[in-house]
Amino acid sequence: MNNFTEELVDDLAAKLLIGLSKEENKMVLDEFAIIDENLRKVETIPNIKEVEPMTHTLDDFTFSLRSDTAYDSISIEDALKNCEVIEGREVEVPKVVGGNDE
Amino acid sequence: MSQYKAVIGLEMHCELKSNSKVFSSARNSYNEIPNDNISAVDMGFPGILPVVNKKCVHDALMMSIALNCKQPEFMYFDRKNYYYPDLPKGYQITQMESPVGINGSLEIECNGIRKKIAIHDIHLEEDTASLDHYYDTSCIDYNRAGVPLLELVTEPCLSSADEAVAFLETMRSIYKYCRISEADTKKGQIRCDVNVSIMEENDKELGTRVEVKNVNSFSNVYAAINYEIKRQSELKSQGRYNEVEQETRRYDEESGKTIRMRSKADAIDYKYSVEPNIPKFKIDPAWLKEITSSIPLLALERKDKYIKELNLSDYDAGVIVKEREYADYFETCIDLGIDAKTASNWLTTQILGEINHQEINLADFYITPVLLKQIIDALNVGTISSKQAKEIFYKAVEEKKEPKSFINSDSAQISNREELEAIIKKILEENPQQIEQYKNGKDNLFDYFVGQVMKNTKGKANPIITKEILRNNLDK
Amino acid sequence: MNKTIEELHELLKNKTITSQELIKESLKKSHEVNEKYNAFVTILDDAKETPITDNLLSGIPFGIKDNYSTKDILSTGSSNTLKNYVPFFNATAVEKLLNAGAVPVNKTVLDEFGMGGTGTTGHTGVVKNPWDPKRMTAGSSAGSACAVAAGVYPYALGSDTGDSIRKPAAYCGIVGYKPTYGMISRYGLFPFASSLDHCGVLTRSVKDAAIVVDNMKGLDEKDMTTWDSSPINLFQSITGDIKGKKLCYIKELCDINYYPDPSNELKEHLKNFREKLENFKSLGIEIESVSVDQNLLNALPSVYVAISCVEATSNMSNLTGIIFGPRGKGKNVTEMMMDHRTTGFSPLIKRRFIIGSYILQKENQERYFKNACRVRRLLVNTWKKLFEKYDAVILPVGSGPAKYLDEEKETLSKDTQVLEEHLQIGNFGGFPSITIPDGFINNLPVALNITGNCYDDANILNIAYALESSMDYKNQIAKEVE
Repeated sequence: MNNFTEELVDDLAAKLLIGLSKEENKMVLDEFAIIDENLRKVETIPNIKEVEPMTHTLDDFTFSLRSDTAYDSISIEDALKNCEVIEGREVEVPKVVGGNDE
Repeated sequence: MSQYKAVIGLEMHCELKSNSKVFSSARNSYNEIPNDNISAVDMGFPGILPVVNKKCVHDALMMSIALNCKQPEFMYFDRKNYYYPDLPKGYQITQMESPVGINGSLEIECNGIRKKIAIHDIHLEEDTASLDHYYDTSCIDYNRAGVPLLELVTEPCLSSADEAVAFLETMRSIYKYCRISEADTKKGQIRCDVNVSIMEENDKELGTRVEVKNVNSFSNVYAAINYEIKRQSELKSQGRYNEVEQETRRYDEESGKTIRMRSKADAIDYKYSVEPNIPKFKIDPAWLKEITSSIPLLALERKDKYIKELNLSDYDAGVIVKEREYADYFETCIDLGIDAKTASNWLTTQILGEINHQEINLADFYITPVLLKQIIDALNVGTISSKQAKEIFYKAVEEKKEPKSFINSDSAQISNREELEAIIKKILEENPQQIEQYKNGKDNLFDYFVGQVMKNTKGKANPIITKEILRNNLDK
Repeated sequence: MNKTIEELHELLKNKTITSQELIKESLKKSHEVNEKYNAFVTILDDAKETPITDNLLSGIPFGIKDNYSTKDILSTGSSNTLKNYVPFFNATAVEKLLNAGAVPVNKTVLDEFGMGGTGTTGHTGVVKNPWDPKRMTAGSSAGSACAVAAGVYPYALGSDTGDSIRKPAAYCGIVGYKPTYGMISRYGLFPFASSLDHCGVLTRSVKDAAIVVDNMKGLDEKDMTTWDSSPINLFQSITGDIKGKKLCYIKELCDINYYPDPSNELKEHLKNFREKLENFKSLGIEIESVSVDQNLLNALPSVYVAISCVEATSNMSNLTGIIFGPRGKGKNVTEMMMDHRTTGFSPLIKRRFIIGSYILQKENQERYFKNACRVRRLLVNTWKKLFEKYDAVILPVGSGPAKYLDEEKETLSKDTQVLEEHLQIGNFGGFPSITIPDGFINNLPVALNITGNCYDDANILNIAYALESSMDYKNQIAKEVE
């Protein structure tokens, strides 16, 4: 029925930068089997496709946008105080190779 | 350059001008000091929420309208989810489902030929942080994180590198005309991705699409497209077209080549999802109307107008519309009543020459259209010669004094008719013999009288008026 | 410390006690409760007294769930990924309470980042129920519920994405209230699922809940989803007069005949609920049974998991150990981020991320995610329809009293009853929703829930207050059974 396989679970986990044990992998599949079954039942609800998916909690459309006022930067001490490896005013990481995807 | 037809699409990212960033209140301005324009939001600290900058939405809608796009009834944002060290939240807030504009078009001029380019969509998003690379480390500066970006995506409908660059130039001009971006490639404010495929002239289906990412100057766009056309064409003509892969490449400036980054199989599924922290909001039609009416006439429209209505040459009109401030200056001159051709000549020669020489903006140039008019008026009524006009122009620029102050002083011509008549009357009274001889046919004595007037006025008498008065007196 | 906010304020005002004494008592109690039930991540032993003003909260200690950002105070979200994180800014709701003169004395344990309903997945260990330490508090606001029930202070902050305030309140015999979405700013609340997350409070009485939320709520320029609630004063709106109000309950959830093989606890729980409803009618209100499409109800748990997992996997992508949190080990950035996340997150969260990620895949979005969002709308519309006729929906919370810790089940089991999960509808629609205790089964508290339409918080609290006043469970402190 669904195409969720052990390999796909591992692949998704890798993309989420998460390592998974064999048991955890299986639990994902078991857990999803229930969701899959339930959501497939949803497909049988008459005219379900015509319902506008609800993505925002309050659909009042009356919220206002911020005026273009700039505030002072946060201090460099605050910005970096939780960072374990810094260089000068910057966050330091091992050299990033390969292009940015964006 | 190729026996095949090239099909090119562009993605153009342009940084918008604003006081604060698009989803945070940190300053949006270039800062040499790393991490000095930042807020908790830009660094993705736990619990932060985006708050949309109204000006950025305004400017994005302005571009949407200027590019003849359709605007959505409701606006909301999406998250593009991926991991990279320059993306502190782990997602970029952008617009996928409901961009500020879709299905637009833009007319460009390339080598004298006009062409309509179809726009797929234009959307508002945030920029990433920047990475500074060192020997074995990279350092992250979040100043750029959250800077407003407009991304424009064309349909694959451009057919040459020339057209691509013409399109980008036109876009840059529109950004600047609308004053929503400096659109300066040197400051990294414009970044492009290019899609290139080739096909036989009569093919129905597009060829294999190759994407070249992060091309950061128009000349590199030009080079990258031509390199790709050449590379793909060579493979095709050798019967090796199957070696052209649907893939992502990058342009290497040093070698002038494009280099493979990853194939389509490795393409990232960005798993777009709605940004729930930004409520869906209705775009007020009255606001759209207000924005529409604030869009200035753009370069090509002005060019057409100057040629058709003001009889400028294609070349001069082209020079004037190159920058909005030139065109605005020119139009102010016209509004002040200066003749179009005269205004065009002064603008394209003396004025642009002078601001280039001084390396300043036209807005900062001392001779405003009003001051220019003082010179041109004096020239028109003959108070000054065109040689003098130029001298006064440069004197006014140099001393930062109004041109009229030079026109009325010693160096200026005497064009006052009464003043000249009085002088001429006196000269005639002093030379009865010469008048007699002139009336008896000695025509060359006319120049003698002119000479007397010049001598008397130290050469400042307006020669035209002088001659006129002399004729009136002698020939009656 | 077993008094109401109003009583404490009075004592402080007439100087019978001092803020310092209250804080001292609360801290002493904190250490005892932590010893016994493991309710806190951090106890703020250096908490300082504040001047007593006209604000009812001034000088009074309270607890903060550890997923609220607190300036210069460790804020972990009960996760190893943030085990050393000390924020430089306060959540807006916390800032507002500090401005009111309230005194935080501890940070309470939660299920990691609010994900989970057992109180067992926090990085500092399992939180135990003060009525019976062999049982769970439920979650995710586990430490807050435990501490308020144990009488550490009159109130603690909670957050509620599915039922994370209202379920543990039920299991601990106290009041749990989450107001309308956007009434309290979420700025500084570590997100779980942003479209479902609500700030709220756990107290021992409805009036206390009103007082606290009055001090937490308000338009916040840092949270676009907040709205102006300044015309609303919840505390002052409470009159206790609810004559003429109309409530309804859902037949499919409350009728024992819908359960094929009911436990004794479930039978007693529903029986107690129906009895209480009968009693409430004497307050001059109407209570009717209504019927709701069972297909929709049955889809609820999976729809909730789908939506919350999708939002959670994106929300927690910032947890990479680069700018904050412990750096992972590895040769390159990717390895480091991976190590941080693999060792930092509990198994439950990891599984949910993967499910969220699968659902968000391009080819699955329509089938899973969009359909889940469609059912969400259908359920919300169903409830909104009920609110056209009724002031509120009244339902029992869960299937009985607190469950034993050793029967913990975090995976979504096929026989999970909708009765356990129906409070999630309050999150789907952003509805104001409050749980109050309505009795005891085997000497353990059980509760009912009242949920109303958006922005109708004052009405809902007034109804809750009137019902609470007609029963005997107001201001109860947990007593260990057996």
